[in-house]
Amino acid sequence: MKKNMNKIIAVHSYKGGTGKTLLSVNLAASLAKLGKKVGLFDLDFRAPSLFAILNIENADCWLNDYLNGVCDIEKVLFDLSDRIQSNGKLFVAVANPGTEAIRDMSVKDRKWEMQALGMLLSLRNTLLNNQEFDYLVFDTSPGLQYSSINAIVAADYVVVATTGDRSDVDGTRRMLRELYNLFEKKTGLVINKVLDFTSKSKKAEVDERVANLYQVPLLGLVPCFCEILRAEGNLIFVHDKPNHPFTKIMEDMAKRIAASKME
Amino acid sequence: MSRKEFSNKKPLQLLEKIRESLERINEKMEVIIEIQKHGHKELQLVPDASLDVMTLLSMPDHLRKTAMTICRCGRATAQEVAQQTKRARAVESAYLNQLVIMGYLKKERKGRKAYFHTDRNSEE
Repeated sequence: MKKNMNKIIAVHSYKGGTGKTLLSVNLAASLAKLGKKVGLFDLDFRAPSLFAILNIENADCWLNDYLNGVCDIEKVLFDLSDRIQSNGKLFVAVANPGTEAIRDMSVKDRKWEMQALGMLLSLRNTLLNNQEFDYLVFDTSPGLQYSSINAIVAADYVVVATTGDRSDVDGTRRMLRELYNLFEKKTGLVINKVLDFTSKSKKAEVDERVANLYQVPLLGLVPCFCEILRAEGNLIFVHDKPNHPFTKIMEDMAKRIAASKME
Repeated sequence: MSRKEFSNKKPLQLLEKIRESLERINEKMEVIIEIQKHGHKELQLVPDASLDVMTLLSMPDHLRKTAMTICRCGRATAQEVAQQTKRARAVESAYLNQLVIMGYLKKERKGRKAYFHTDRNSEE
């Protein structure tokens, strides 16, 4: 029987500011628009942002509490299904933005990180198998640190966000070789903030350059859109601007991830 | 086993005991063969060993594959690990026992089966 294997998707990058959170939120919302039940997780414990982007005022339980083993995942998940126009469902688990919580998460030891990996791995059973979630999307911290590598190890598929920035290109290539490859992870590259994205020939040129440079499958090219900057991160873009080219690109990525099948 | 104990056992039970002993000897030999293949360095007991992601990253490729499988399953026999890694059971048994010697995994016997798990599971 063929089944989709990209159930848990980690969105990661070498450097910050590559658009991981923008991609995570809109990829999760695009999957939900396909009629799927989706969970979005803020695993950037050093700089939590989903609570602000998604206007979540107050949480009784944070994702931190789940990883600390003091709260069930069901109590952490917020139902945001009413924010998307579809039959799908969107839930979000947010990280605690309080300074004390950030400090607490940054001093965890190896043993705790190992247990946190176990908690992330067990989501496959509690959410995918028992509660019939179709996809879990992990928004991670940039670079090589425990919380993001835990997310990568727990994931089936890693969306690697990068830009044309020289410092980012080199680090991303190294991570592809020395991180995702070592864990035998399937990856899809998203080049964000592409400039001069006007003609089909230009797109073909970028496609070829990327294929030569990174030697991994390209999931999508995202041009630099002023409308995204103007939105100031205050909305689920694919919901608020259903006809915008960015929305079409995100929907295409979601369809490609959902269509990926293995024996 | 004393002569009295020996005479009280049924032949089938004795054979089963011998089989278990042979399996244990076989496992030990597999580890010895692997030590010869890969050298002694990587088989030293690691103080405060934990199978966290940074440790996984720094492991040699052949051990990482086995360790990752136990991380995902939580608890498994060499046969179950071999099914996932598509390597021979004897090879996985040797790698799993190496990880036990290094302190990364724990091993428990239940009847004839040996289960391997991380410390994480024993605390749950």
